[in-house]
Amino acid sequence: MKNSIIARLVIMFAAAALIIFSLIGSVLYAVVDNELLHHERNSLVTTFKDIEYMVSRAGTTERWAHVQVKLDTLTPADGKVRFWIFSDDPRFGYGKDLAELHEFANHPNNLGRMSIKGKKYPLHTLTRILPAYLDRPAIRLTVGVDAASYFETLRTFVAAMTGLSLAGVLLVILCGYWIARTGLQPLKKMSDKAQTLSPKTLSERLTLSALPDELSDLAQAFNGALDRMENAYKQLEAFNADVAHELRTPLANLIGETQVALSRERSAPEFESVLQSNLEEMDRLRSIINDMLFLARCDQGEAATGLVHALIADEVQKTMDFFEFVLDETGMRVEISGDTHATALIETSLFRRALTNLLQNAIQHSPAGACIEVAIDAKNHGVQIAVSNPGEPVEQGHLPRLFDRFYRVDTARRDINGIHGHGLGLAIVKAIALMHGGSVFAASTGGVTTIGFTTARF
Amino acid sequence: MKILIVEDEHKMAEYLRKGLSEQGCTVDLAANGIDGQHLAIWHDYDVIVLDAMLPGLDGFSVLRSLRILKQTPVIMLTARDRVEDRIKGLHDGADDYLIKPFSFLELLARLQALTRRGRAQEPAQLRIGDLQIDLLSRKALRNNTRIDLTAKEFALLAIMARRQGEILSKTAIAELVWDMNFDSNTNVVEVAIKRLRAKIDAPFSQKLLHTIRGMGYVLEPRATAHDGEGG
Repeated sequence: MKNSIIARLVIMFAAAALIIFSLIGSVLYAVVDNELLHHERNSLVTTFKDIEYMVSRAGTTERWAHVQVKLDTLTPADGKVRFWIFSDDPRFGYGKDLAELHEFANHPNNLGRMSIKGKKYPLHTLTRILPAYLDRPAIRLTVGVDAASYFETLRTFVAAMTGLSLAGVLLVILCGYWIARTGLQPLKKMSDKAQTLSPKTLSERLTLSALPDELSDLAQAFNGALDRMENAYKQLEAFNADVAHELRTPLANLIGETQVALSRERSAPEFESVLQSNLEEMDRLRSIINDMLFLARCDQGEAATGLVHALIADEVQKTMDFFEFVLDETGMRVEISGDTHATALIETSLFRRALTNLLQNAIQHSPAGACIEVAIDAKNHGVQIAVSNPGEPVEQGHLPRLFDRFYRVDTARRDINGIHGHGLGLAIVKAIALMHGGSVFAASTGGVTTIGFTTARF
Repeated sequence: MKILIVEDEHKMAEYLRKGLSEQGCTVDLAANGIDGQHLAIWHDYDVIVLDAMLPGLDGFSVLRSLRILKQTPVIMLTARDRVEDRIKGLHDGADDYLIKPFSFLELLARLQALTRRGRAQEPAQLRIGDLQIDLLSRKALRNNTRIDLTAKEFALLAIMARRQGEILSKTAIAELVWDMNFDSNTNVVEVAIKRLRAKIDAPFSQKLLHTIRGMGYVLEPRATAHDGEGG
């Protein structure tokens, strides 16, 4: 449960409820307290006023005796209302426990509280000094009212409030759990659905329309990841099939030819021819394996090392020289255009390999006598090489896939001019571009196919 | 040339011995690192071919203990082509390395290159049968008839002539003539050889430039007209 959203939500709900109930309880307590106190004081003041009137007009000892009797009768048996009169003249005093009252002698002439022995709660008191009248000196009149009901009420209120709040929090926890569970139902459904996805149902996706807005982003991202995985998976499958096919062909030739050769008696020249043919097939195998290893190393993120600043036009020229005889034979020309003074940081042997593959590709797909154009374009700190050749247009759908391993636009067009292409040439161009921090591009418009790459390092 | 081959793969060791013996070399074999180390230290070889992965004692250890005592040239054979492995081998004192699967021709060329070091400078004139090549004036004559060659054609002829009798693979030719040191999967070399052949061989009865199908080309005078003129 430690990372459960439901548990987190419930805890947060409970905490919120606790805070809200506490606040409401505190405010209510203050209101009730205030109201009760106000009420208590009102009755205290009323009682005080009645007594004050009587006491203040008793100026003689005779009348004072009358007051005392009156006060005695006014004091209820349960002691809920008490009167004390303090005077410098002991004749004009009144009330039990007067001695205690001395402590309050200098108490502010106002409302107060007073604890009395044997009483659980203190009394609310009102004290006022009455001026001298006739024989009587100035006296101090204190009226005390029992506050038990006030305190009891408050106590009960607090208990009830606490109990209610706790019950409320408990209820919120239960409701919160239910709400969270119901609210997160789409998430549960989504995860159930996601669990049903397996490599066998690679093309299945989460249905976005059934999901609330908050989850559809997540589901979309998830579906995107599935798309990429499906592509990678399919690519890998196709790649495996292609590799097996590419390796199987020369192997089949090797096995078959050798078996045929050994099935009868043969002359030395016949065997020699078989061996030579086998050697060619094995060379083909070696070449495929080497290219695949090269690509695998690039996949592992190996970058070009031994980078040097090189004049790009020079490298193009050297690669063109390499093809000089082939161009001559096919009557083709190569023209270098663009920024012939551009330099870039490249590993020259890799760069030439990429150029060789591009030129080879262009020569293979051009009619005799065609003019191939190599355009150099200096880009910020890198360079773009585009090799264009006239030839059959390549369908737009094929263009981005030209750089895939073993990808062929026309599967039937395998060996042109006796060259065993194994469909890794442009994949190697891409790998080399990536090793130089660049990318590849392909376009085919108006009967001209342009394939190229960029370097973008430093 | 006396060669020690330390290789545990029996088939490979055997064909190397056979091939190198036929090239006129004396070949000793060792099938594990311990024997290899013993032979390398107690006998004198012109060059040692050393596999990296060996039973008993690996190639790098053999090389290290050999280097304490001797400077015999060593070519390491390794199935791993990671840069670190190569650096390790060269750091431990290997003179060269070859990655399996390697071509026998390449091994031969490298063995010859290792033992050729320090030899006297090459002559300025080369002669193959009735073909005369002047490397300084860059002229080729056959039967005293001047053969008109382009610069690249001459470079190709000179490289083949310098290594007359030696089979040169297409990759080696591409590297030596055009400085293209990778498998280019093009027919450039075939076309070049065809052109050269048309100029130096076609008008003459004795053929000098021969195709060894599946392996490469060789420039040498041959007694009979028979050769595998296949590709």
